[in-house]
Amino acid sequence: MSANPSVPLAEILETSDILADRQQRRERHAIALQAIVPEEAILSTVEQLRPYESDGLTAMKATPLLVVLPDTIDQIQAIMRWAKSNEVPVVARGAGTGLSGGALPHEDGIILGLAKFNKILELNEELGFARVQPGVRNLAISDAARPHGLYYAPDPSSQIACTIGGNVAENSGGVHCLKYGLTVHNVLSATVVTIDGDIMTFGCDGHDNEGYDLLALLTGSEGMLAVTVEVKVKLLPVPPVAKLVVAAFDSVEAAGDAVGEVIAAGIIPAGLELMDKPAIIAAEAFAKCGYPTDAAALLLCELDGLAEEVDAQVAGVSEVFSRCSVTSLHVAESEEERLLLWKGRKSAFPAVGRLAPDYYCIDGTIPRKQLSYVLQRMDEMSAEYELPIANVFHAGDGNLHPLIMFDAGKPGELHRTEELGSRILQLCVEVGGTVTGEHGVGVEKINEMCVQFDENTLTQFHSVKAAFDPEGLLNPGKAVPTLQRCAEFGAMHVHHGELPFPELERF
Amino acid sequence: MTSKDDSAALLERVNEACREKSPLRIVGGNSKKFLGNAVEETQTELSIAGHTGIITYEPTELVVTVRAGTPLKELNEALNAAGQMLPFEPPEFGGSTIGGVLACGLSGPRRPFFGSARDYVLGMRVINGQAQDLSFGGEVMKNVAGYDVSRVQVGAWGTLGVLLDMSMKVLPKPAKELTLRQSSQAHASHEFASLLRQPLPLSAAMLVDDSRYLRLSGSDTAVDAAAAKLGGDVVTNDDQLWASIKDHTHEFFTQGIQSHGGESSLWRISVADYVPAIDLDGEWLYDWAGAQRWLKTSESAERIFDAVAQHGGHATRYTANEDPSQPAFQPVKDPMRRLQSRVRDSFDPHRLFNRGRFHPEFDHVDAPDGAVSV
Repeated sequence: MSANPSVPLAEILETSDILADRQQRRERHAIALQAIVPEEAILSTVEQLRPYESDGLTAMKATPLLVVLPDTIDQIQAIMRWAKSNEVPVVARGAGTGLSGGALPHEDGIILGLAKFNKILELNEELGFARVQPGVRNLAISDAARPHGLYYAPDPSSQIACTIGGNVAENSGGVHCLKYGLTVHNVLSATVVTIDGDIMTFGCDGHDNEGYDLLALLTGSEGMLAVTVEVKVKLLPVPPVAKLVVAAFDSVEAAGDAVGEVIAAGIIPAGLELMDKPAIIAAEAFAKCGYPTDAAALLLCELDGLAEEVDAQVAGVSEVFSRCSVTSLHVAESEEERLLLWKGRKSAFPAVGRLAPDYYCIDGTIPRKQLSYVLQRMDEMSAEYELPIANVFHAGDGNLHPLIMFDAGKPGELHRTEELGSRILQLCVEVGGTVTGEHGVGVEKINEMCVQFDENTLTQFHSVKAAFDPEGLLNPGKAVPTLQRCAEFGAMHVHHGELPFPELERF
Repeated sequence: MTSKDDSAALLERVNEACREKSPLRIVGGNSKKFLGNAVEETQTELSIAGHTGIITYEPTELVVTVRAGTPLKELNEALNAAGQMLPFEPPEFGGSTIGGVLACGLSGPRRPFFGSARDYVLGMRVINGQAQDLSFGGEVMKNVAGYDVSRVQVGAWGTLGVLLDMSMKVLPKPAKELTLRQSSQAHASHEFASLLRQPLPLSAAMLVDDSRYLRLSGSDTAVDAAAAKLGGDVVTNDDQLWASIKDHTHEFFTQGIQSHGGESSLWRISVADYVPAIDLDGEWLYDWAGAQRWLKTSESAERIFDAVAQHGGHATRYTANEDPSQPAFQPVKDPMRRLQSRVRDSFDPHRLFNRGRFHPEFDHVDAPDGAVSV
């Protein structure tokens, strides 16, 4: 620690007292935990702790007291009992790819790293399920199931790295969730350890369990209620055919209307993505996938299922798009071309990252009918703040990802960007939407929760939390703001296009 | 359709009950009075039947928001007029309201293929046990802000709050539906499993007597191709068949069951679809590809609960019975009971709502020292 002359001496002494106290507790707890896990499963030095300082939201950092890496459920139970009797906060962590700071450490707590729980315990191709440990990567499940003609449907863009335990914590979606649902629709049961050290299973092998549906409550609870130690997921038959229709429009409104018309025609595409002009140009420059750069908006519409069903639907959406003044219409002719066209969409974020030194990503959901209005308001705000915005949109389910381009090097620009991001999220709530469609609240959007929910509702959330964890030891300070805290907004800050895990496809 | 916002009056009624710590039994269409445990008649009735009407419905958004007292029949008609449906195909027991359907968490034959009532709930407005008017979730399909309280309300039998308004995802009706009848022997383990692992456009699968019925839904060409592959006799008027299973008007449900301590009771048994035939005497009907089994039996509740628990499932009594030794729901044991009771506590600390109706073991409040009080 370097002394800062502007800080009064008393404050420095106080800070160093806190640090000394923390170091003492770090050492004391490390010894205590050696009774539960082997010494090498406890990380306590600065070098060992550094990789755990943040998750995918790298703007926020904190050093935990310890990182503990158990490899049996018995150990997790014992750690939880120890944490409860010593009042030590516990933050569970999978791959650490989350974008909202859900796995940000607590300075007075431990990180419960679940990386060693990385085994697929059972893959039952006959009965259509996989029983996996929480640290198994999302894509690893589908990779293991595919030789049997099955797969796990939710496909968040970070699926190569993110773990199923994290997916349960965030209720992850993916580009196919309009048709196949979110994590909550594809998990059969989850076995958890509570803060009391009890082990129990939410959900069951049938379609419902006795009592309350605590599996629904657990899914998306951001590590606040219990630690997931095993997950049983549903495996679906791989659709025999997938076809991608790419449609260009000369206005975003026309593309938005076309989405409504597809739904009105009774067709539910597997994926339905919309990009505006800045996003099209950026993606094409980056991925060279053949997007028409003169289009004002582009729709990617994927249809999958039996060959007969897909043929009928391709004809159906083509007819709808033609009615909706499409300027060009193309059906991917080969599997290679289909994947290339998707690559453009999936690399939209790093692509935009090349156009400006920095960008902010917003994650709001709006009722689809509000798209034109929201885009028009964003155009006005963009002009007002003199900051360009590119838009990618999970059009099927209304999840909007505006990317605000800015330069943190210019004085005041970061602040203006944050303010603009705040106003966009406010707009999402104003039109009947939500401040987070899929990235979670974590620490990032904790303040924005105050805009979406009133005091009584927030208090009810805290009561639910207390039913599981009365002392508030699991992931304290995340997901639901205290009433005092309700103040301002936040958004994901990406510096110089450096996404955490830049090799991952995003959103 | 009548449309009336009765929420202010309902809120006032709950407020009053809250002040007086006087329990309420929540009633919609009263079509499911025979379900659940008998409730003391002294409890004050809180009817949501006057809180009715569709609040918003725009078919291209695939979302409908409706008041809890809206009759299911009227809601279905409105969706049908737009070529859409509630994908979980809820049962209609004569006057059922959508609020009652969601409170009881009931889904029909389409459930194993399209998802359950809770899967389609996007948001809910609820009065909790402290007479607070709360809104959870919303009218959008992707929303991870806050705990998913709306879905937990589904199947909670009103014990976590009075459901006021609900937003649900709806889907277009399939272009074509067709049902095949195939000859089949009594339920064997894995009877349906191989069908479920294939990319077939199935939307219902059941086994009754010596017949297996498979419903296909999708485009004309896809349904015809799958029907040719599966084989069997095409069932005429199959809409009526599935409605009779869903609404319990099929003769399996109407004959040979006596209520109020009679010879035989109807039980719903929920297990994994691949669980082998369960050793309980009686007549069986296998719906949901074997995952929802109906049993007409004179076996005791205790014996049924034990046998079903051995297969990792649970049983629910579907015939009214006021004998407290014959509970309607499979009792939940500690530590799960303790947790579920605390969840009830977090919504309804005074146990105002539907006391005794659902799991009476959740009506107890656990003191921190482990003692249990009522």
